[in-house]
Amino acid sequence: MRRSPFQAQLAAGGAAFRERYGIEVVSHFADRPTEYAAVRDAVGLTDFSFVRTFRLPEEKGIDFLDGLLAGNVAKIRYGRLLHTFLADEHGHLLGDCYVANNDQEFVFLCESILPDGPLDALLQAAGAAEAGLTDLTADHGLLSLDGFKAWEVAKTLFGADVLGLPYLSIETYPFAGGSVRLFRAGKTSEFGYLLLMPRALAPALFDALQTEVGKRGGRLCGVDAHDDLRLEGRFFNIHSEGRRVQDPLVLGLQWMIDFDKESFHGAEALRQRRAAGLKRKVVGVAVEPGIEALEIGARICHGDRPVGEVVASCRSFVLDRRIGLAVFPVELAFSGLSFRLATPAGPAVQTLSMPPIMPKSLGVKLDEM
Amino acid sequence: MGSASSVLTTHEIQVKIERRSRVIRTFKEELIRRLNLPFTPEDLHEDVSLLGSGLGLDSLDALEIVLCIEGCFQIKIPDQNVSVLRSINTVVDFVLLEQDRKGGGA
Repeated sequence: MRRSPFQAQLAAGGAAFRERYGIEVVSHFADRPTEYAAVRDAVGLTDFSFVRTFRLPEEKGIDFLDGLLAGNVAKIRYGRLLHTFLADEHGHLLGDCYVANNDQEFVFLCESILPDGPLDALLQAAGAAEAGLTDLTADHGLLSLDGFKAWEVAKTLFGADVLGLPYLSIETYPFAGGSVRLFRAGKTSEFGYLLLMPRALAPALFDALQTEVGKRGGRLCGVDAHDDLRLEGRFFNIHSEGRRVQDPLVLGLQWMIDFDKESFHGAEALRQRRAAGLKRKVVGVAVEPGIEALEIGARICHGDRPVGEVVASCRSFVLDRRIGLAVFPVELAFSGLSFRLATPAGPAVQTLSMPPIMPKSLGVKLDEM
Repeated sequence: MGSASSVLTTHEIQVKIERRSRVIRTFKEELIRRLNLPFTPEDLHEDVSLLGSGLGLDSLDALEIVLCIEGCFQIKIPDQNVSVLRSINTVVDFVLLEQDRKGGGA
């Protein structure tokens, strides 16, 4: 099982570990509401070293990544990130990916539902060696800094320059005699940064971040709270609805695809399904406060007819109720409707517009600070 | 978010869907035309984020979206009301609410 370079510090912080696709991840440190609140109100520090990280030389990297991923890598401007996905030959999701165009190199982050071995095999078969793909995963750490006050921590460590970084961008900063690649990204709908650093810098950077996070009332967080934050912000989660539904078109991820591109993994299958027309679609759902029955796999009924299935679910602490995503036939896939859960006499389920919350960070303009 | 304590009849669902579909279709077609987006209306999920992640539109595009809403539905977006522009669905919710407020929602 692959372990994080921060394993000792995470364990010292009280991490509860679990395995996911042969990789050790931190489920949580504290209870879910506490970690959730840290991100919404302050800042959370989460180990994301489970994400596979790679670099490629710019010249060879374009063709390799363009032939692999659904988005158009050739169109990424210098200093910017592309958010896209990796699919198999059937057009089913395998990975949620960022690609950064960063000073003579591409940095490729892949949050995959494949264990390391099969993902390596897929990349090799696609020509990774010829493209000069270097796996950074084993000798680098990846941390996610998220929250209303995440920008304050990033500014303290790397300077006021970080405030000018647009969403989906990359910059490299010096730290303790080395360098850290900083991605302005995040999937919680609050301010977010991913920090990729060589293993030699990992302990010192972790400690520095933890200190600054603590000063602002933040804390260490696990991936469970991140899953809730993603769903509440309606960010795609490969480990949740991605793994269950598999089809990016049903999940509404067409924006990640360049349909005009000549080819990419799964392109033919996706083009055929697009041409045939969408039959099912994912929609946000919610139940009344106090109802806890919005479980993954639960059926949603109209009268005595099952019409939907829950594919993701969490407690929204802002809305004080369970929310989720459900797949419906396209003719019923609309916000503002109401059905019943599981049986014709079950609790009411309302379809809702996503994202259902207004994050604090959306009201802050960093470039004016 | 409205109450979910009762469910809708088939007829009520159809009425809501027809009204919402009209607004969605009009907004998507105009959005694609004005911003020259490389998608069909069917490609755009109603929850897709308009700014930042998702369609990745910038502040100039946001102005175009505001003009698009005003042009299509004769509805003004209040200054600083960024919450309306989070997704196609949040825009549509706002349009439907304003149409109801003006008494033209049927």
